[in-house]
Amino acid sequence: MKQNAQPPLDAEMSTTAERFSRGFALAYTGLMRALEPPFAAIQKRVGIKGMAYVFVAPNMIIFSVFVALPMILNIWYALTGSNRLMIGERPFVGLDNFSALLDCKDYLDVNSCKQDRFWRAVHNSVLFVALQVTAMVALSLVTALILNGKLRARGFFRAVFFFPVLLSPVVVALIWKWILQRDGLLNAFLMDGGFERVAFLHDASWSFFWTVFVSVWAHMGFYALILLAGLQAIPADLYEAAEMDGTPKWRVFWRITVPLLLPTLLVVVILSLIRAVQAFDEIYVLTGGGPGTATQFIVQYIYETAFANQVHLLGLAAAASLLVAVVLMVLTLLQLRISYHGKTS
Amino acid sequence: MFKQLKTITGGLMALCMPVAAMMAAANTAKAADPTEVRIMWYSDGNEGDVMRDLLDRFEKQNPDIKVTLDRVPYKTVVEQLPALLDSGQGPDLARVTDLGGLSRHYLDLRPHLKNAKYFDDNFASSLPWFRPANGNKDGIYGVMSQLALTLPLVNTTLFQQAGIPLPGPKATWDDWAKASKAVADKVKAPYPMAFDRSGHRISGMSISMGGKFIDGDKPALVDAGFKSGMKNLVDWHANGTMSKALWGSVGGTAYRGATEEFANAQVVFYMSGTWQFTQFAKTVAKNFEWQAVANPCGPAACTGMPGGAALVPIKATKNPQAVARVVEYFASEPVYEEYHARTLFLPAHAGLAKKGINYVTDDANVKKSLAIAVEQVAQTSPIAFKFQGYEHNRILFNAMISRVNQAISGEMSLDDAYTRMQADIVEGFAAKGIKLQ
Amino acid sequence: MRPESDISMASLTLDTITKSFGQLEILHGIDLDIADGEFVVFVGPSGCGKSTLLRVIAGLEPATGGTIAIDGEDVTHHSAAARGLAMVFQSYALYPHMSVYDNLAFGLENMRMPKDQIAQRVNTAAQLLQIDKLLQRKPGQLSGGQRQRVAIGRAITRNPKIFLFDEPLSNLDAELRVQMRIELSKLHKDLKSTMIYVTHDQVEAMTMADKIVVLRDGRIEQIGKPLDLYNHPANKFVAGFIGSPRMNFISARVTQSSATRVSVSCGGMQDTALPVNGTGLAQGDMVSLGIRPEHLELDAAGDWTLTVDVVEQLGGTSFIHGTLPSNEALSIAVNGQTNVSHGQPIRIRPKPGMVHLFATTEGERALPPSSASV
Ligand SMILES: Nc1ncnc2c1ncn2[C@@H]1O[C@H](COP(=O)(O)OP(=O)(O)O)[C@@H](O)[C@H]1O
Ligand SMILES: [Mg+2]
Repeated sequence: MKQNAQPPLDAEMSTTAERFSRGFALAYTGLMRALEPPFAAIQKRVGIKGMAYVFVAPNMIIFSVFVALPMILNIWYALTGSNRLMIGERPFVGLDNFSALLDCKDYLDVNSCKQDRFWRAVHNSVLFVALQVTAMVALSLVTALILNGKLRARGFFRAVFFFPVLLSPVVVALIWKWILQRDGLLNAFLMDGGFERVAFLHDASWSFFWTVFVSVWAHMGFYALILLAGLQAIPADLYEAAEMDGTPKWRVFWRITVPLLLPTLLVVVILSLIRAVQAFDEIYVLTGGGPGTATQFIVQYIYETAFANQVHLLGLAAAASLLVAVVLMVLTLLQLRISYHGKTS
Repeated sequence: MFKQLKTITGGLMALCMPVAAMMAAANTAKAADPTEVRIMWYSDGNEGDVMRDLLDRFEKQNPDIKVTLDRVPYKTVVEQLPALLDSGQGPDLARVTDLGGLSRHYLDLRPHLKNAKYFDDNFASSLPWFRPANGNKDGIYGVMSQLALTLPLVNTTLFQQAGIPLPGPKATWDDWAKASKAVADKVKAPYPMAFDRSGHRISGMSISMGGKFIDGDKPALVDAGFKSGMKNLVDWHANGTMSKALWGSVGGTAYRGATEEFANAQVVFYMSGTWQFTQFAKTVAKNFEWQAVANPCGPAACTGMPGGAALVPIKATKNPQAVARVVEYFASEPVYEEYHARTLFLPAHAGLAKKGINYVTDDANVKKSLAIAVEQVAQTSPIAFKFQGYEHNRILFNAMISRVNQAISGEMSLDDAYTRMQADIVEGFAAKGIKLQ
Repeated sequence: MRPESDISMASLTLDTITKSFGQLEILHGIDLDIADGEFVVFVGPSGCGKSTLLRVIAGLEPATGGTIAIDGEDVTHHSAAARGLAMVFQSYALYPHMSVYDNLAFGLENMRMPKDQIAQRVNTAAQLLQIDKLLQRKPGQLSGGQRQRVAIGRAITRNPKIFLFDEPLSNLDAELRVQMRIELSKLHKDLKSTMIYVTHDQVEAMTMADKIVVLRDGRIEQIGKPLDLYNHPANKFVAGFIGSPRMNFISARVTQSSATRVSVSCGGMQDTALPVNGTGLAQGDMVSLGIRPEHLELDAAGDWTLTVDVVEQLGGTSFIHGTLPSNEALSIAVNGQTNVSHGQPIRIRPKPGMVHLFATTEGERALPPSSASV
């Protein structure tokens, strides 16, 4: 070997690394040897085919305990009443919770509903989803298009747009609260510029606007990244062919980029739709659903009804979450269908 | 390949888990030599430190008992403790403020106490607050860890700067609202009046205005007195006496205090309570002068709401004897006195109240405020005491704070808000198995 | 077929075209004239810059230096669309979401041509390429050969001044490639358009081109008619690149030279006299002797001996691969079948006048420099 030619430090390091990797290999084989007998014994019992289930079992157990079981419990809660937590102590009430939720003279007038808070949350969520998803898709598409272009320091800008996605929702909300609150950064700027202070977080319309804005800001990078991947999957020679064909830029966008991006775009729409329906954490920390109930969305309603209010109306909350689950299920099926179609075409 | 690896690791972990559990069990078995008593405890000020200090002394005297003080945020006590208690997994003792609402989980200590008469003699007025409706008529279900009273805290420095005199002890709510607004306008303070966003804090004003809240054991929330109290709040928000920036920054029944704003000298008149004294002694220090003032008057009374926190034993405990010894130690006169002297809390102990407590503070603002607070306890309306002892008062508190906020934000009229409050109350009682109407 | 008036043709002139990507110069000054209606093939090994040159001509890449003129008009700074050229990409680059019809019509729609005219053009091109039954299909539903036709059709409908093809057949299987080669040649005859065709396959170059441009490392090595390149390669690279199977090269030493004759010793054998102008060569000079396999024949009286390693019998032709006494490899192509077998020493001789000499100095140009063996 050329060990002699190497500086001594290098040689030392390589031997350390070697020793380390040898140690690792030793530990690994030791571990595997130790595991051999019990697994062999199990295999003797269940056969080679059964082993698959043995290996899947831990995951299935975790899934059933933390996903499937709560889902079933949720249905039971929805069909029972009282403020008791233990399911044995809860009286069966049939569909009472659902009929209470759906008891409205006019679904467009929240004040005519028995559960006005639920319907306020539904109305707010519908508006929120419509605005947020539109803004999210449009802005992330524009961002992706810009980032896909010939941009100086493209990697840097990609990181900048993706960065908020890595932040915890609570951090996102606190950052923006710090900017938007009465004595926040934005008001400080406004007042420096000689403007009036604006009640960004306790005026109903403003605070609704900011919930949309902040949630778009926080998640846009994620969707922009998906769209960017979609854009880059469009072969460059199609654009060259279009260039040879003398195609104007806007026509390239509408006739080539958009149709070829459509499957990705639909995935983004559905994903952001589902997440908009589930919006909670940033908004809860940013506005707490206020002022009044102006930014209270469906998940916050469920949370507060079940846990935050003095009397825990678990049945009502469970019923509401089932209704939301049905809506999300429909949206998810839609997404699966669309992505399936996208794949086959 | 990777997937396989994952399942293998998963299997490994599953295999290791029982071993870990066994080891953990062995550990606890060893440590369980002295009986462990767990207390879930939240703090507003220094009471956690004081309590720990006192408990250390207790442990020295009682080596057979180890007391663990689990310090949690107040929110945990409000939102998580009820679920823990429902599922039978609560602590042995807890410091709670929803005295009546959780009372079905409390343990009657009377059979386990060495000297139950001491409790009867000294805690007679507060014992009923946490006695469950269907419990033992003379049961001892805990001991107050703090008697509190809602009352206004006023930034007197701002009054001086504005050149406006403090309204006198018999001043009305109207007087205070006008004076606070005038001061704030003069000194450019953003919050003339601030209330903690809590049903409890706005109830005192309503009782002063003539509100009754309960009728026998039935809720009777909406009456003329209550309405004029609520109307005050809506009007004050409309005319800028109260800022929407405080209550408007959260929704639902969420609590929102103004301690930070008060400590920053942005608030002229802060409707909060006696538990804030220690905190302001620290955060305000000598930056400005402040003091508690007598509760403003309405046509019916000049009252705040009593309240406070109690240390309650939980029925599910496995060591009622040990729990009783901890409570008896805490309630004993010297310990109880030291605790209050150091925490600057008002005692719910008749003997100590009469004797007076020599509070450990050299903060003039606090001294002045404590004197007024003690006076104010005597001024408190019987309706306020009764409402505070009402098992279901939280349902009413929640209904009023969330709905009046919707009226304030303009989402509904006050009349609609009253209707909704009543509907909420009916719903809350129904969930507890009580049919109203 | 299309009406005469529709056909536009054009000449192309490149003047010292250079192209760099960043610091790296890929094309080092390309001079080239292409006449109206010519079928020109750029050939060269992979990575030599053929595609880059084609893309510079197309206007997809700006030239770093030099000028491009079409029909005498300087188009160096014109956009791709303004140059009026059409390109057929190696990957076809069909718009996958459009029908074949829309693919063909897309460029015409850009020109805002009336719908009926578009239909007429598309249909004419489709018939010409026999894809008129496929017009409603999507590219994903076509075979490779059909896609290739659509790609060509898309170029035809635009009626370009020059067709540009970048290795259009390389994604097809061998059989289809031969067929498409013939069809493309036929198309060129029908359309009479100027076509520039890039390939790394010298067979395509030889069979289709009016004129071949051999490129190496961003430089033109030789320009000429296919047979001129075959017969008179300007240097050893061209000689080796053009012609299949590849030309044999043997290193040789000049033993004697005159204006009409050069004698060399090579292959570890006795001197071979070649009827070549030896001016400028001195005794003792090292040269490369080149001879195509088909220009060697078995002859019991031949001067050269060869030990046979492998015999490939194709029926119509046979290839004998062997080793010279000097250990250099040599291949021979013989017509028909042979009974020579492995390990057998055979005697061979070069056909008279078919031997090339190349300098071993830089450029390895043919000797004498004017090219040609005698
Ligand atoms: N866009 C580009 N950026 C940098 N280098 C390139 C680019 N395109 C081609 N090249 C380089 O230019 C050289 C010639 O490429 P190309 O023209 O594609 O070769 P050919 O088509 O003859 O195989 C190659 O070395 C290739 O790596
Ligand atoms: Mg190429």
